[in-house]
Amino acid sequence: MNDRVVITGLGLTCAIGGSADECFNNAIAGKVGIKEVKSVEHSACYAHIGGEYNEFVTPEGEDRASALCIKAATEAVTDSGLDVSADPSRVSVVIGSCVGGAVSIEKFYRDYVADPGKASGEDVLKMPISAIANNVALKFGAQGAVDNVANACAAGTMSIAIAADLIRSGKADAVIAGGSDPMSSLAFSGFHALHALDSEPCRPFNKSKGIALGEGAGILIVESYEHAKARGAKIYCEVLGSGVSSDAHHITAPAPDGEGMQSAMERSLANSGIKASDVDYINAHGTGTPLNDTSELGAMLRVFGQDGKVSCSTTKSMVGHCLGAAGSVEAVMCVKAIERGIVPPTVGYTEEDKAAMREKAGDFDFVPNTGKQRKVDYVQSNNYAFGGNNASIIYAKEGVERSLAQPNKERIFITGFGIVSPLGNTEEEYAANVNAGAAAKRCENCGDYISAVGKEDFDAVGIKLNFYRKLDKLSQMTCVSGKRALANAGITVSDENSRKIGIVAGTSDGPQTDIANFQKGIIASGTQAGSAFLFPNTVYNAAPGYFSIAAGVKGYNVTLSNGAASGIAAVAFATRVLHTTQNDVILAIGADEDSETVHMLYEKAGAIAAGMTPGDGAVTVVLERESSANARGAKKYAEVLGSGFAHCPTEFGKYGCAGKLKEAIGLALRESGVSAGDIGMVMTCTNGVNSLEEAEKDALADFAGAKKVSVKALCGEGRAASSALSVAHAAMMLGGVIDGGEGEYALVLGASVGGSYNALVLRKA
Amino acid sequence: MNARQKAVADKIADYLSENLRLPRENITYDVPLFGDGIGLDSVDSLEIIAGMDLLFGVSLIGAHDSVFRDIRTLSEYIVNNPDFKENKK
Repeated sequence: MNDRVVITGLGLTCAIGGSADECFNNAIAGKVGIKEVKSVEHSACYAHIGGEYNEFVTPEGEDRASALCIKAATEAVTDSGLDVSADPSRVSVVIGSCVGGAVSIEKFYRDYVADPGKASGEDVLKMPISAIANNVALKFGAQGAVDNVANACAAGTMSIAIAADLIRSGKADAVIAGGSDPMSSLAFSGFHALHALDSEPCRPFNKSKGIALGEGAGILIVESYEHAKARGAKIYCEVLGSGVSSDAHHITAPAPDGEGMQSAMERSLANSGIKASDVDYINAHGTGTPLNDTSELGAMLRVFGQDGKVSCSTTKSMVGHCLGAAGSVEAVMCVKAIERGIVPPTVGYTEEDKAAMREKAGDFDFVPNTGKQRKVDYVQSNNYAFGGNNASIIYAKEGVERSLAQPNKERIFITGFGIVSPLGNTEEEYAANVNAGAAAKRCENCGDYISAVGKEDFDAVGIKLNFYRKLDKLSQMTCVSGKRALANAGITVSDENSRKIGIVAGTSDGPQTDIANFQKGIIASGTQAGSAFLFPNTVYNAAPGYFSIAAGVKGYNVTLSNGAASGIAAVAFATRVLHTTQNDVILAIGADEDSETVHMLYEKAGAIAAGMTPGDGAVTVVLERESSANARGAKKYAEVLGSGFAHCPTEFGKYGCAGKLKEAIGLALRESGVSAGDIGMVMTCTNGVNSLEEAEKDALADFAGAKKVSVKALCGEGRAASSALSVAHAAMMLGGVIDGGEGEYALVLGASVGGSYNALVLRKA
Repeated sequence: MNARQKAVADKIADYLSENLRLPRENITYDVPLFGDGIGLDSVDSLEIIAGMDLLFGVSLIGAHDSVFRDIRTLSEYIVNNPDFKENKK
């Protein structure tokens, strides 16, 4: 099998430079880029420093996250010599981010607080994380999968792991992968509120009291070995296996035992077919917070021992913590370390510190203060995030020995649902309401379709007030939907199966309401007065993070933010995860919230005037490997046969060309081995916006005989919730739970602004 | 509690209800804020510290754990603090 994946291009911008070479040369010299922060007002804060790259000025009219990302991507694409236009459908973009358009978010709400009329719809389109990969795809003309990974501080590592998986599963030849995050008042104020900033430059694993925030973007061209060889590309190194796990412990703090971190590290080694003793260098997460550093060091000492054979450093001591970009910034450092045979240091260690570290960790080598020449064949890079998400990946010198875990070819079934929707908060209630033709709940003033969860829902799923009071609406709906899905599928989470149950969440807009609440709070009272209570809710992976804690699931955990199609994208992605990881069950969750804030944002962006009526909800689809479903005698509603995606590079905010929806459908049919005539039902993706209606009409010309069903006509444009609901609704029709199912096969469609289209084929089980 | 302390206590209860999303009726003067009572955690305590500074100009950094026991002990500490400002915000 073609499982060789290589890195052929690098781009990096962070506090210590504007190119991969400049950054790496500064890193091995131990240069610190952490200094007084310029772009955030911090006079009343207890900490004032961070790692900015002030040499890069955001171009007028652009958002800083996208601009930094495009800068690094331009360097990487040029470095690799990749000609995207040669076969654009085979080039994908996968970008990780934590705060996304936070600089634009601040600008928007500053304008809005001064005068609601003055705040601009153009800024709204720069706010969501999902804009970033779209902007990169538009810049380079990429037309493959366009994914944003929103797992806070682990997103950068996950994006590269996902890129490698896309290539190994044959869905792409090359991927522009990495991460981007700007310095922002949102992050500065949030970490300040949590007392997680250090007032001195951080010295991870040593005396550090907290993090120094950074900013930047790291981009890597991840490519199939054959594709790179065929075009004569320079190969830096290979990408081997990865590991993703969940702590299920706390929304911001890592589990003190470091078990989840250890599990991710061990999985990346096992999935690469190498031993811990093979690893030459670890680029640690090493944020500098005592909680992270203690848990992480414990986990590393258990996995690698303390004999000092492996070198370990944290480049955050020089560039700061770049959040969702961190893993990609560090990936570039790792790749350069392999290329040059020299590892970057951890800076800030005095002789006294070194002695103290020896007490703590024996001969474990932290590479103090300056880079070190040594053999660098195998490198592990680790990142951990809010929500208890852990990610680990292995990079290796070209051609070294390894034996990658092989994907399984098992069939994947849908074995349960959890539905929180404007038509009811259980799958039974939803089905009964659909069968009875009942009208969905709507907001009296605004007409939006509204879901509502309350005490009776939390009581029913066993979540206590202490827990649910902390959640924003997105998280509340997600927790109820996820818990009900486990119950509906008949799955009891235990110590035996908790690491084999994972989550793939999809959300278009994430927690925009609590982001607005948090940002308005600091506009009113200052950066020093950010709410410690609200800040954890501002990351897109908080909702699935809370759910993993409520349910105790410790397997895979990734959050995608790809616009309204995020729900169907999560289902398709989860199927791939079941084929390539040790997970038996993945809960694919599509969730988006509506609120006065969200309604206002869509009004500003012009979507409501264009014909879209917002809705909301959270829909969980339980996906399970056949062996697992058979072993426990699970009810199977439908089988996931295949999926397809295509991207039409389009300005964010608009729908892309019709031909690409047709292409996505064609790919899904081909992978499923069925033809258009076999399809009995089509779940449509139109939402009242003319350009999308026309695109879909065009693309469905071959499906005249199939029954058309629209969940958006029932429940509004609930974005990720709607596209996940489309999958659930189709499976419930095939399984006979919802009346009127026709035929053996259903085709489910999804569309996002920015030009992404998804298609999925289900078969009656 | 005298009227002055009671006014502060009620203001704290309102603040906790709004900012920590607790049902107002659950917050009595004597219900333990941490542990088996309302069950607040370390992130909530950061929010309380920030709030008391914002509302009354009183810093709780370094205050003994017993100050945080309930609304009564919190309000007592605040009204007796030299930095206390009745209507800072």
